[in-house]
Amino acid sequence: MRPGPTEMAFIEIENLSVIYKASGREVRAVEAVSLKVEVRESYGLVGESGSGKSTILRAICGLAPISGGVIRINGAPIATPRGKAFSAEVQMVFQDPYASLHPRHTIDRTLSEPLAIHGIGNTDARVRQALLDVGLPANFRFRYPHQLSGGQRQRVAIARALMLEPAILLLDEPTSALDASVQAETLNLLARLRAERGLTFIMVSHDLAVIDHMCDRILVMQHGRAVEELSREALAGAAMQTDYARALFAASADRMLG
Amino acid sequence: MTLVSVKNLAVTFHTEAGPVEAVRGVSFSLGRERLGIVGESGSGKTMTGRSILRLIRPPGRITADEMVFDGIDLLAASEREMRALRGPRMAMVMQDPKYSLNPVMKIGAQLTEGLRQRDRLGHAEACAKAIAALEAVQIRDPARVMEAYPHELSGGMGQRVMIAMMLIPNPDLLIADEPTSALDVTVQAEVLAILDGLVKTRGMGLIFISHDLRLVARFCDRVLVMYKGRVVEELAAKDLMAAKHPYTQGLLNCLPRIGGTRGPLPGLDRDAAWAN
Repeated sequence: MRPGPTEMAFIEIENLSVIYKASGREVRAVEAVSLKVEVRESYGLVGESGSGKSTILRAICGLAPISGGVIRINGAPIATPRGKAFSAEVQMVFQDPYASLHPRHTIDRTLSEPLAIHGIGNTDARVRQALLDVGLPANFRFRYPHQLSGGQRQRVAIARALMLEPAILLLDEPTSALDASVQAETLNLLARLRAERGLTFIMVSHDLAVIDHMCDRILVMQHGRAVEELSREALAGAAMQTDYARALFAASADRMLG
Repeated sequence: MTLVSVKNLAVTFHTEAGPVEAVRGVSFSLGRERLGIVGESGSGKTMTGRSILRLIRPPGRITADEMVFDGIDLLAASEREMRALRGPRMAMVMQDPKYSLNPVMKIGAQLTEGLRQRDRLGHAEACAKAIAALEAVQIRDPARVMEAYPHELSGGMGQRVMIAMMLIPNPDLLIADEPTSALDVTVQAEVLAILDGLVKTRGMGLIFISHDLRLVARFCDRVLVMYKGRVVEELAAKDLMAAKHPYTQGLLNCLPRIGGTRGPLPGLDRDAAWAN
């Protein structure tokens, strides 16, 4: 359903809380975080580990329990359990390409499984096209993940996420396990795919330079709470308002190089 | 004063498909300073670090014209002599706390094991030393950490525990293999400050292995850039931006910058000749 006349963002997160209960103790992973992402926007989440940035992505996907608040996509609250319509709209790319691909499934099987689940035909051509789109040779189709390098695996993970032609891609540290040169290739690939397909990104990273390169707006998080939202210009101009955002900026190794 | 001197080091693995040369003709010397070794995965930087401790398992073989640590010929040393060196004189912080700490042993037991076995310290004394070491790496609640198992700690805490463990015997040389790659930038800065303080106050020599050029530039005095088992460039860290070798330049240019242009990042064109 399209949103009504009132201006609504494509993705709206309102007062989201994620609370885990572990052995009688409450862990507040995310507390009252709100954010809005427009269509075709690229939105970045930064913060130290344990700041809740990945948990927000996992809550959107249904991998973390929503304890309070609402997540709306296209104006409608997302359904629980997420269901097929959701996975056709939203897909996620995980941090570690060594852990996110099934070790005993060929690349062909990994890529064709979403098509089979959603009853989409023409598998052969689609898998071939998907490999082509992420810049992998066609004969990789019948390889296993262990026969691929880290960068190649992450390309497969991106191809898998795009099999159902989603509008939204959630990227959880997609390049932090990769070498600098492979990171550059992967970021270029993501930027190209976003431009070609008009994708909306929510990207999590602890590397401010990567987030700055990829995102239009940035939310700085700490201890499960939103600290400050920054535009790209504000980040580049070091115009942050809070001490924590400034400390993060100062600690960024990128600052060293003139 | 030279602490470590390595000349023409090679590490070769004899495999069924023929010999694989992981490190070829690497030479460097280290004083009581911070030396960075940078390169992509597979460039031989970890193997170089492990060679100094002679921690290369067969079928790997170490050969060198010279490998001397504080006047001791490491190539001629017996396995017994090497064991006496590893730990008290030279130590290595491994990359991943998840795989390097014993998962079924409490942190306290792991930290005190060496003190009790090697130095024959009593329980209370060993514990006091271990707690002091944890405090030295800025762990706020050392008593709790002593009683914790590795899986109960975050990556950053685990990493600091490993650094603490290596520092208890007060070594002259510390080889740190990607000690901060699992950490956030803010924690990373803390761990680097700890290592920095140790180099300055204890006069320790440090070999810092990393794939992160920016970090190395910020933290080390000198940098070796490795490519396919060879050192392609050695330079002072402050001159890194003026690197001459196209590989070093390529590694620098492919990193995104805050406030940089958002055009495609330049890829790294590898020239086969660099490896020769």
